[in-house]
Amino acid sequence: MNPEAVAIEVVTHHQVIDQSLTKSQLRRIYTMRQLYWSDNSAITVFVLPSQHELHKRFAKERLQIFPYQLNRIWHKLTYSGLGVAPTIVDSEQELIQSVINTPGAIGYIDDMTLSKVEQNQHENVAVIKVISQQTPVGEQEQKGSSKGVVNVVKIKD
Amino acid sequence: MLSKLKTNAAVEALSRVCNLFSSIYWVSKTRTIATLLISFSVTMTQAQDDKSSLNSQDFQLHGFIAQGIIDVDGSDFVNDDGSVSTELTELGLNASYQLNNKFRFAGQVVYLDGGNRYAQGVRVDYALLDWSAFTSEHWQANVYLGRFKNNHWLYSSSRDIPFARPSIILPQSVYFDGFRDIAVGSDGIATKISYSSDNYGNYDWQFSYGSSPISDEQVKNVLSEYALGSSEQDYDAQTSFYWQPAFSSWRFGLSLLDAAFTYDSAGVGGGDVFFDADFTFQFYTLNALYEGEKWEFSGELYQQRFTIDGFYWPDFKLDNIGQGYYVQSRYKFTEKMTFLARYEDFYINKDDKDGKKLEQSTGGIIPYYFGFHKDATLGINYDITSNFSARLEYHWVKGAGRLTPVVVPNTHINDSESWEMWAVQLMYWF
Repeated sequence: MNPEAVAIEVVTHHQVIDQSLTKSQLRRIYTMRQLYWSDNSAITVFVLPSQHELHKRFAKERLQIFPYQLNRIWHKLTYSGLGVAPTIVDSEQELIQSVINTPGAIGYIDDMTLSKVEQNQHENVAVIKVISQQTPVGEQEQKGSSKGVVNVVKIKD
Repeated sequence: MLSKLKTNAAVEALSRVCNLFSSIYWVSKTRTIATLLISFSVTMTQAQDDKSSLNSQDFQLHGFIAQGIIDVDGSDFVNDDGSVSTELTELGLNASYQLNNKFRFAGQVVYLDGGNRYAQGVRVDYALLDWSAFTSEHWQANVYLGRFKNNHWLYSSSRDIPFARPSIILPQSVYFDGFRDIAVGSDGIATKISYSSDNYGNYDWQFSYGSSPISDEQVKNVLSEYALGSSEQDYDAQTSFYWQPAFSSWRFGLSLLDAAFTYDSAGVGGGDVFFDADFTFQFYTLNALYEGEKWEFSGELYQQRFTIDGFYWPDFKLDNIGQGYYVQSRYKFTEKMTFLARYEDFYINKDDKDGKKLEQSTGGIIPYYFGFHKDATLGINYDITSNFSARLEYHWVKGAGRLTPVVVPNTHINDSESWEMWAVQLMYWF
């Protein structure tokens, strides 16, 4: 890993109760072998397009899988009817928005974008309010402001 | 002079007719593709509307469009006249709807045009109810009801997903296009049980039982163009097991298949020269896959047993054991460019690897080279974007053992042991 490169954080929807994941759990989640969080709520996986720099780094550094291997697994699920593959979004901005808006969501973000999002949260509470109104669960606004817009998940060995 | 004029006029008239036919063909083909594209986009728009109203990931819509050019020299693999062909069209559209945590509906429709390789047209690739019977952090058990795809072999589920398979034309000894509609899936029940362990890796066990409908065109493709009766598949039972050691680049698998078919002759009165028959087919494979950063290796080793009881005459009996393998390597030259090299070797009867006995037993009617199929392939794939790729490949083939029709081969067009083909294809998916 390039030490100068910006670190990649794994983020989840703020209601996800799992605060930390092992490397193999993260791998199972992204290879669609684990579909539920520890409280039995469904996991919704978000990713960037396979040629996106951040996706390539996430796959190699965090999952230790090559992006083409993920494609093979996901294509098989999507086009053979066996299961559901992660939802692909076009940009980092869209990815973080999806994680904020979707209960049970998991995604990844680079450190710099994350701190920008967190900064915006303080400056732009109105935006978060709008977001929380869209989701059915009532306490979100409170939690959102006390814990941050997303959870940053600790990855253990 | 007059005769020359006449000939010229005839040639011109003929070429005009040909042009007319080819433009009619093109118009109809363009129309088919356009209709499918329009329905694609209409459904897409609807899906996006639905998505916003559902406000969830429960409904998913995906699809692909691929068009290529293929040229075969020396066999009827794609067409009978050996001309460069655009009969390399593959379109697909699928949807998945998660009803609740336990049940999901999924279906895919494909349109295929591959010339002689398989019947041109639209088919329902799969249409199933997926019951998530059990799930935990390490275990998943699913039951699929309806029409499901064959997920047992290395590329059986991705054989007509252009960007998900390794080459435009797959190793024909396993993924024989003539058997495509029968082998690609079944109507019935399938199960998949997966176990993922931190210490021992990932295990997948699958079982399926069902049957495939067989159209009259397939009967002609597989048996003979003179077979006027109908055929049906009694059953198709398959199982497979895959193991990927923990954090390993390797994965190993094996699969077993047992299937039976019957042929109902149209009878002498119906003009059918063939008789009622029972066919059985057993197929066993071992496979391995290695996925490294630059290199990818894969291969399948297989044995099949094919029996015929009847068909040519009421007491006719045949029991053949065929064997084969292919080894394949892919090299990721850059992040976008991948090279492919593959060698495939297959013979229909293990006691007659060079086909000499076949030629002798048929009194020379079926030449020896119908007893085997060997294919050396080189190819290149370029990923233009994350969901748009281009592919080019060349095949050097020896043998006619994987050409249609199978049971009564066309020795007139396939008059040489060696034949070659190249193909290019553009693929887009979403």
